[in-house]
Amino acid sequence: MASFFRISAIVNMRSASAALALFFAATIVFFCVSAPRFATASTVENLMSGFSFVAILAMGQAFPILVRGIDLSIGAIVGLVGMIVFDLSLIGQLPGYLILPLALLAGALAGAVNGVLVVHLRLQPFIATLATLAAYRGLTYAISGRQLVPGLTTTPIRDPWLTGIETYFDVGGWLGLSRLVNMPWVPLSFVIMLAVFVVLQVLLTSTRFGRDIYATGGNHEAARLAGIRVNNVIIAAYALAGLCAAIAALIMVARFTTATEALGAGMELTAIAAAVIGGVSLAGGVGAMFGPALGAFLLGAILIGLTLQGVPQFVQQIITGAILLAAVGYDRLLSVRRQRRLTAASTAAT
Amino acid sequence: MQEEKTNDRRNFLKTIALGSAAVAGVGAGMFSAPGDRSLAIGVPRARAEGTRYKTAFIQWQPHTVPAAWSKGIEEVLGPQQVIDYELLDGQNKVEVQVSLVETLISQGAAVIFLQPIDSVALAPSIAKAKRAGISVITLNIDATEPHASHVEMNHYYGAMDIAKAMGDAMGGKGKVAILNAPPGIIIRDQRTNGFVDGLKKHHPDIQVVADQVADWDRKKAQDVLNTILAANPDLGGVYGVNDSMALGAVDVAKEKGLLGKIAIFGNDGETAALESIEAGELTGTQYTDVYQQGRLAAPAATVLATGGVEAGAFAQQSRLLMPYVIATKANVGSIQPSQRW
Repeated sequence: MASFFRISAIVNMRSASAALALFFAATIVFFCVSAPRFATASTVENLMSGFSFVAILAMGQAFPILVRGIDLSIGAIVGLVGMIVFDLSLIGQLPGYLILPLALLAGALAGAVNGVLVVHLRLQPFIATLATLAAYRGLTYAISGRQLVPGLTTTPIRDPWLTGIETYFDVGGWLGLSRLVNMPWVPLSFVIMLAVFVVLQVLLTSTRFGRDIYATGGNHEAARLAGIRVNNVIIAAYALAGLCAAIAALIMVARFTTATEALGAGMELTAIAAAVIGGVSLAGGVGAMFGPALGAFLLGAILIGLTLQGVPQFVQQIITGAILLAAVGYDRLLSVRRQRRLTAASTAAT
Repeated sequence: MQEEKTNDRRNFLKTIALGSAAVAGVGAGMFSAPGDRSLAIGVPRARAEGTRYKTAFIQWQPHTVPAAWSKGIEEVLGPQQVIDYELLDGQNKVEVQVSLVETLISQGAAVIFLQPIDSVALAPSIAKAKRAGISVITLNIDATEPHASHVEMNHYYGAMDIAKAMGDAMGGKGKVAILNAPPGIIIRDQRTNGFVDGLKKHHPDIQVVADQVADWDRKKAQDVLNTILAANPDLGGVYGVNDSMALGAVDVAKEKGLLGKIAIFGNDGETAALESIEAGELTGTQYTDVYQQGRLAAPAATVLATGGVEAGAFAQQSRLLMPYVIATKANVGSIQPSQRW
């Protein structure tokens, strides 16, 4: 029974991923044909450099959703971590190799606080993270080195450990492909995104922690009765979302050579959209890393493609909304089918 | 060195020609490259070749000011039939503005007008545009990366003059409050520091008793000012860092019967503010002809796009401070309808 549920969930996930991949491919083909200069190396480069951090945020967001929660605060965590990096580098004059681990730690801690609020104060995830969204953003303003020290508003961060994240590799040149076709240079942020993808995907599919995540998301009570320490799993899921937000913040700070107080504002919604488009079910327990990552690049490709076509941005937002609705509808369809099969199986068994 | 320069120039011309040719040339059935070195700077050559130059303005977020700039820019660029112009929205997000700049670079735009959300954050993108031979013209907020040109309102000195006019209206003494923008933006600092320094210089007896954030917003300004008035009922003046917030202060003054007892000044000079001054409600504002600001930025773009001037050729960035007037009831009538935005 339980194994049947697992198998059917995986089958559903596969077909959702396949549908998304197909849709992504169709979108790319559509823009290659219809949008001027879409099929160029520089567009691919822009997509990789401009949306890798969105993909990382979306993969992080998938964890709270997988355990039937949601994290509205990840945009604020991006802002907070960005400002911590800014302060440590420009006011504290700390070397970048110390700032990097501190930033990741700060992000994970901020995420863990969300988890603690959800688990121990028994707050609705939506309310808990809405509260920390406001609190973290307020804290960002409070610790802003741009206001504490006049003149820092116009001082870029120059630490090579931090700005080095915005590096591009001539992969096409190394492979000799550049002689055949104009190849995009691959930004380090894209490589980081791939690394995050591999680590998190392995974590989800091949470790006990991953199985615990799915079990907790599927049914809290059943998971607890099965001996899973549900509270710890949930806190860890939020901490992972915070950690991913910190990685995204580091990439953004490197890209902009500064952090603003508003850094990351509203990005939680993009991340949630990408995760849902990527087949992560808001009902919990269903989803993987491939979908959210591809979902982020799909949103990016649509934004870039429509901009190249000269479509006004409000139309772009409407289209994004429509795709989100379609994705949720498709998810619902799959879950209804799953439910039916489950009912059929249980009646057959009795 | 000379050779390198010539090469740069040639690459620039090639980028421009091929870039815009790919956009428009295919449709027009023309795909010719310009004969590069014989061209004189400042002479539009594209008409003969059927190519068009792409320009775009990336605004901060929709607001009266960038809308008026865009109209001014369009007025100048529109009749020049070799130039395409579009308005893009930065959605108040640094990452969106950066992504738009990169998209314009890969589109082979000739000139980018930019109202940067942050001076530092957009600097790497401006550097990238320059490397691709694209000129960038900033409006109101300068960037730390030197670029072709910067056209801005005279925030600092204008605010000093506002302080002087407000002090005069208050008889040189009393308490004032500032309804401010959220921190982290250069023009907030310029408009606030100018005002504070102006008071020190012209009216040292006037005291700033409150400086609070009202998010550029009329409604928010009403709430904030109500709180300030509760603590300081004897307030003599209010300075809104933009007109929307000053008009919010006017709403409060009207409601509490304080109109005429409090001097209220705004900044920008949008139509609603000028009308409020004419109605005897708002005391004054710093008026800038924002259409004109757009019209002044546009010809620079034309020269940069069609004249083959290299984006990296600027040892020093040009900088234009807009003229302004402190509009009060005495002189507001002289601002013509066509100058109102």
